[in-house]
Amino acid sequence: MKLIETPEQIQFQQMLSGFFTLNCPTSLVRQMKDPSAAGYPAALWDALAANGLLGLTLPDAVGGQEAGIYELGLFFRQAGRVLCPTLVYSTVLFGVALNKIGSAEQVQRHLRSLVAGELKAAVVCSNPADSNDIEPTVVATRHTDGWELQGRLAFVPQADDLDLLLVMARSQDGSEPSRLLGFLIRPGGSGWSSTAATTISGERRCLVDLSNYPVAAADTVAGPDGTGLVTADVRWLAQTALALQCMEMVGGTEVVLEQTVAYIKNRTQFNRSIASFQAAQHLIANIRIGLDGARLAAAQAVYKLGLNRLADREVAIAKMHCSQAYKMATLDAHQLQGGMGYVLETDLHLWSERAKMTEVQGGTADIAATWLQQALGLTA
Amino acid sequence: MDFEFTSDQLAWQAEIREFLAKNVTDALREEIAVYHYDLAGGEVAAFRRKIGQKGWFGLNWPLEFGGLDLGAIHQHMLVTEFEYWGVPGPDLTVTSVAPMIIRNGTAANKAEFLPPIARGELICAVGYSEPNAGTDLASLRTRADLHGDEWVINGSKIWNSMAQRATHEWLCVRTDQNTPQHHGISVIMVPIDAPGIEIRPIIAWSGFRTNEAFFTDVRVPVGNLIGEMNQGWRYITGALDLERGALTNVGDLRRAVDDLIDLAAVVLADGLRPLDSPDVRRKIAQLDADVEIAALMGKHASSLLEDGTIPSVEVSVEKVFSSELRQRIADVGTQIFGIYGVLGAGSGLAPASGAFEKLYRAAPLLRFGAGTNEVLRDVIAQRGHHMPSYRSLEKKKS
Repeated sequence: MKLIETPEQIQFQQMLSGFFTLNCPTSLVRQMKDPSAAGYPAALWDALAANGLLGLTLPDAVGGQEAGIYELGLFFRQAGRVLCPTLVYSTVLFGVALNKIGSAEQVQRHLRSLVAGELKAAVVCSNPADSNDIEPTVVATRHTDGWELQGRLAFVPQADDLDLLLVMARSQDGSEPSRLLGFLIRPGGSGWSSTAATTISGERRCLVDLSNYPVAAADTVAGPDGTGLVTADVRWLAQTALALQCMEMVGGTEVVLEQTVAYIKNRTQFNRSIASFQAAQHLIANIRIGLDGARLAAAQAVYKLGLNRLADREVAIAKMHCSQAYKMATLDAHQLQGGMGYVLETDLHLWSERAKMTEVQGGTADIAATWLQQALGLTA
Repeated sequence: MDFEFTSDQLAWQAEIREFLAKNVTDALREEIAVYHYDLAGGEVAAFRRKIGQKGWFGLNWPLEFGGLDLGAIHQHMLVTEFEYWGVPGPDLTVTSVAPMIIRNGTAANKAEFLPPIARGELICAVGYSEPNAGTDLASLRTRADLHGDEWVINGSKIWNSMAQRATHEWLCVRTDQNTPQHHGISVIMVPIDAPGIEIRPIIAWSGFRTNEAFFTDVRVPVGNLIGEMNQGWRYITGALDLERGALTNVGDLRRAVDDLIDLAAVVLADGLRPLDSPDVRRKIAQLDADVEIAALMGKHASSLLEDGTIPSVEVSVEKVFSSELRQRIADVGTQIFGIYGVLGAGSGLAPASGAFEKLYRAAPLLRFGAGTNEVLRDVIAQRGHHMPSYRSLEKKKS
């Protein structure tokens, strides 16, 4: 145990920080909120691909960097600082998921193009309001030599902009025992209907209804021996997605703190910087205390998942703390920055929106606390 | 970043636990329950000697001073385990005073004081605060004047905890009356049995004993000055960070929450089982999560120390967070057992023998003690985020 970042980890983050500052300005974040604009950040995407950042943890065989989940966490933290579009996260997570549970052939077929920046994708492996709930909402029945899917997927990020979506489903196949399976599906076409809804952050989430949606056998993800996915693998994916989101939230919290300190230092009232008031300093100290806890908890969760282990307790604690820390940082930042932080012209609200989004997404602190109760054996 | 214990660290943890399993006897627990650590020549004293024999009081000192030369993480792990078991381990003499002597003391200071500290024989009461110099410590007025080859000390100290069992006062005094506040302060080691010292007990709400100490023409040899004259402020502000790191170790908080979880699973006399309430489960989950956060903060601070950085902002964060958490644990611990929660320690019916009622009274100390949380929040903002000091601003104006 030694909770110090290595020089390589520090250097990696400096590189990422430079990259995101250059390629993901708040003008892009605002553009992504505009319903009339393309839901796809083309220039950012090209830059991510050119720098090998879409396949950080993927194997060399598909052009990936073979980095660990902890390093991917550092990517999410830096991306979280600049409010990177969700499509980037969802695509990177698709890569992690398919690499974990897909066949060698599926990995080759799809992840090479993902690394090259030619694929926008997402994975749905848990309840969007409760990551611990991995029971699929989709049922798969046999159809000719493939499958047909029925069911609803709630809150798929920008479903209609995706090239590929990995969904989990339960099989219902006569007398055969029900299996947990993954399916690679292409949004649109027969049996697909989606309704887009705009979230507080302006990003779109879609309710997708699948009705007799056909999937070919080659697009079935059936686990290591072809008889179904290992539940622990799907749980690992759900936990990893959430732990990485926590790292994103840590990055966001850091920026809110830095920007607020910078603003109040320069703001003068009563002939003194308002940063010199003790009341202001104590709000800043509280944000910092929340941030330090969130940072350590999120890092611990991605670290453990990076060892290919489940992290029930660590993820629950990280989500409880990150949800509170990020949200409270933005609300206290509004208080400290007053009118200047409240108007749409300035950027603070962009972080506040993402903080609320990520607070609820995957499970609020109250929901995460129920996972912890389970891990502690407090509930049956 | 490495969150897993190495095999070396696991072996260290096993060694500590083996020592505790062997030496934490019922007799020791019973003595602590009645006398805390204050009974002279009893089980606690014998237990301290055993720690001294293991060399654990000097575990992070250099070999040349009789230490084991182990790092801050080893010390952190040891203190965590001792606190979890509820027995006295390395105290401020070891975690705060000794490192100051090692970093700032003269060769003679080191030769004279470090060996008996390592054996567990030299115990210091830390004499910093005075009636009119608490949070504003630099206003202290206890003075030491050089007369020939002796210091002559006059003044008084308050919140002089441990003086009733200490062998020495680690005393902060003014040695120059004519320079600005921070520049005229020195540290002197004063044998507690020196003529002219009077110790008067003050009993706190928690039952904790602290003291007032009065110094009237107390004479100590000139060589008892630690390091250089008038450099004391620099020494002790560095040490306060170390002290905070040691004080806010969360072994005892982990134990409190573990105990709370066990107790909440038991059916009370009125037939209710606290864990059956979703609200109780939610509260306990929050405490468990918060203790884990505090533990991570402690691990982080000790990792920084091991790397040679004094983590002043990080330990301030940890101290504020864990001391406020302590109060929350005590609060929940007195709420979830229904009306039984208000029963006093010592009452036969009190849950956990009234441990949480007692903790409720004990917790305020760590919020204002060892640097009040308000000042530490200033430290976090000013040192951590370079916000301007309002105190220097007010001085400039006047």
